[in-house]
Amino acid sequence: MGKKDEAQLSLPIVGMSCASCVSHVEKSLQELPGVSNTVVNLATGKASVVYDPQQVRLVDFQRAVDNAGYAVASSELTLDVRGMTCASCVAHVEGALKELPGVLDVVVNLGLGTGHVRYVPGVVNANQMKRAVREVGYEANERNDAADSLDRERQAREEEIKRQGRNLLIAGTIGIIVMIGTFYDMLGPFKSIVPVWLSYKWVIGLLTTPLIFGPGRQFFVNSWRGLKHGVTDMNLLYATGIGAAYGIAVINTLFPNAGFGGEGATFFESAALLTAFIVLGRWLEALTRGRTSEAIRKLMKLQPKIAHVIRDGNETEIPADEVEVGDLILVRPGESIPVDGSVKDGYSAVDESMLTGESLPVEKRIGDAVIGGTFNKTGAFRFEATKVGKDTALAQIVKLVEDAQASKAPIQKLADWVAGHFILGVHLLAIMVFVFWFFIGYAAFFDPNSSFILSPYALGEIGVFGFSLLLSVTVLVISCPCAVGLATPSAMMAGTGKAAEYGVLFKGAEAIENASKLNSIVFDKTGTLTKGEPSVTDVFVNTQARIGVSDELLRLAASAEKYSEHPLGEAIVRGAETQALTLNEATAFNSNPGHGIEARVENHIVLVGNRKLMAEHGVEFYSLIPHAERLEGEGKTVMFVAVDGQPGGLIAVADTLKEFSAEAIQRLHKLGLETVMITGDNRRTAEAIARQVGIDHVLAEVLPQDKAEEVKKLQARGKRVAMVGDGVNDAPALAQADVGIAIGSGTDVAKETGDVILIKDDVRDVIVTLEIARATMRKVKQNLFWAFVYNTLGIPLGAGLFYPFFSLVVSPELAGAFMAISSVSVTLNTLLLKRFRPSLRHNERQLTPNRDSGKSPLSPAVVSSK
Amino acid sequence: MEQEKFDQEVARRSALIYLPISLGAALLFLLAASVPGAYPLVAKVGGVVWVGLLSLIVSMPLVTARVKKQLRAKTSIT
Repeated sequence: MGKKDEAQLSLPIVGMSCASCVSHVEKSLQELPGVSNTVVNLATGKASVVYDPQQVRLVDFQRAVDNAGYAVASSELTLDVRGMTCASCVAHVEGALKELPGVLDVVVNLGLGTGHVRYVPGVVNANQMKRAVREVGYEANERNDAADSLDRERQAREEEIKRQGRNLLIAGTIGIIVMIGTFYDMLGPFKSIVPVWLSYKWVIGLLTTPLIFGPGRQFFVNSWRGLKHGVTDMNLLYATGIGAAYGIAVINTLFPNAGFGGEGATFFESAALLTAFIVLGRWLEALTRGRTSEAIRKLMKLQPKIAHVIRDGNETEIPADEVEVGDLILVRPGESIPVDGSVKDGYSAVDESMLTGESLPVEKRIGDAVIGGTFNKTGAFRFEATKVGKDTALAQIVKLVEDAQASKAPIQKLADWVAGHFILGVHLLAIMVFVFWFFIGYAAFFDPNSSFILSPYALGEIGVFGFSLLLSVTVLVISCPCAVGLATPSAMMAGTGKAAEYGVLFKGAEAIENASKLNSIVFDKTGTLTKGEPSVTDVFVNTQARIGVSDELLRLAASAEKYSEHPLGEAIVRGAETQALTLNEATAFNSNPGHGIEARVENHIVLVGNRKLMAEHGVEFYSLIPHAERLEGEGKTVMFVAVDGQPGGLIAVADTLKEFSAEAIQRLHKLGLETVMITGDNRRTAEAIARQVGIDHVLAEVLPQDKAEEVKKLQARGKRVAMVGDGVNDAPALAQADVGIAIGSGTDVAKETGDVILIKDDVRDVIVTLEIARATMRKVKQNLFWAFVYNTLGIPLGAGLFYPFFSLVVSPELAGAFMAISSVSVTLNTLLLKRFRPSLRHNERQLTPNRDSGKSPLSPAVVSSK
Repeated sequence: MEQEKFDQEVARRSALIYLPISLGAALLFLLAASVPGAYPLVAKVGGVVWVGLLSLIVSMPLVTARVKKQLRAKTSIT
């Protein structure tokens, strides 16, 4: 390394294959300001850079290499972080990790207790990350796979509940005894059963001491660790509050004449009860917080443990994670399907509701796909494993939901920032409160007869220092922004989990927030609102012709088209097959591209095609034209059919609407949303479809590559737009929209673009998406409102703003109780989201058979077919 | 620079800044409490300790974070 202040870094580069790549990468890095030397090694795939850290950062290197067409290799890892209790903890852990060289991005989730890190391998490693987290006062472990993390998370949560429960038992018991001793004079008839020595200050002090250094120790240790590394968190508020109350109590007990208020101002009960209440809050939080992430645990629990594999003709029971692609697996009624696969023989109905939200069991026949984790209801079948381990649908869904829960919504980033900076602000406020009451407030307003709220004792002997300190400590305790920190992540976790239950996968918390603000929904037509394949809609028979019935016309046309590969011909054949018509072989077949076909069927010459074909063969088809124009006006494609030179009739074919499209649009209108349909079709066809479905606006004749541009135009008009598409040619539009919704992806969710993935091919799930997003954001706002209301009211109350009028002050222990109530109430409010049910699923979910009663035969009427 | 040495250096440099800040705040409080002469000694001492402690709590993380950032920028990151 050359000059002072210069640093050296070795970056792993991906995509280099030759010497010119080396020079490209070297040049791109060398051009950055502050880079004095760059050496790229093709063999090792590394770029060694000497640079001035004041002028250039790691992200600049990354961008430069990306711009040159290569990439700085990055890896991701998830750390299980223990000991985080609030938003400021999140900020500290994130800050500690971000400070590490080589770390590109960090997202810490308080609710999950995880830190997701994107980093440059070789520059930083997992050990350094764990150490950085430990240095700021938390515990960190590297995550392995989903199943392990489930166990570990549960174990960690149980340990935390146990630890705080033990602390609570000690703190609660001692706190109650201390309270009884402190209020001995007021026990009335119960005095006789309480020994008098329990009221002695030194006895109360002796009882309080183990409480402070036992259950209360965690606050001092954690806050000191943080302070050493320049960070502050909630623990500091508690430590200062408890420490001050206990310290003054000790001085006043040992040196009653020292002038701090004497025996009348021993705050042992404050210190004891404050500790007990804070520990109670921690215990309740540990109990309730885990429940907001229950959805992910439910998903993980779906993973079956065993599989019955047929190997060498014998059935063998093996662990499900040992199944290999290609294995033949037997599934009996009442068993779970261990991995993804394709049915080879047998028939059954499978309950897929847990993964797709589909309320009715789905029939499975030979060739049908089955999903690992779903539940076989009625029959036995064998299937071949096609996806195992991390590739299964269940594993992909779990990963997606986990990633979403680990992400942050913009509103959460703001709340975290506020909470993170709040602690220092509160300490500054505590100084101001102390100084005010010391120099001005005490002399002006102190009333010896004043007392604590919910306490009969007068403050009496307390001096200027004791009184000022009391209010200062109360401010520290009552200001704790725990509830602010929990408000958003807890609701987001519950919301993403709830959505997953209905087959709606949000890819991030930002998608939820954006989905809640939408006012315009753009639908791709083909494959989204319509089935995406033409089908016969009308058969018109010329009454003058020899063919008197529509079935006969359709049968002849379908027989003629039997071997046609044209989509319209295939639609006619499907239409005839749907009506169970018997088709005969055409003995001669001639295709006239762009016009139609001519075939001989049952000794008839059958023509199926457009006007030109009829004209070419001299068919007098003019009487059919008014009917044809009417059908074309409805957006249908009309084919003329002539039999033996006579105009037989018309067959109209159109891309038909999906079953629930009209209902979905109607419901969206009820929610107050504008609906738009975008399609490459001609305007007449597009408008016909739009009329049927009830769409507000039509964007017709839009090429696939221009769809994103149309979305952009809507956004420019101030709309917050969701684009709903099947993802085939909609990817740019999905990306451009505020929320891209990929519909009907099936369970191959990892490949999907879009911010929201709808597993089922049911356009009504767009409404489910919006309702869940709105419910989640409603919960976030309620939580934030109550959290801020608590602090807004609590701080002036604690600071003694109302003391001059009422002569009442909040004791530190009461402040501690308020604080505990606020964070627990926020979590409980979030748990109400578990009861949420989308409007259109109210009835359907009741039809879902109980998984446990899976062996009971199902009526065919309640089995849906895929 | 070794991480441990780095941390020690950060701690040393930070202490040189935040300790005078806290002591200054405490001294200021003492001066303010002493001028009128109306406060008992113990109240003054208690006040000095409390204001000094809170000032330390406020300034310590702010100063440490800033010093760490400056020092990190000056040293090699590998």
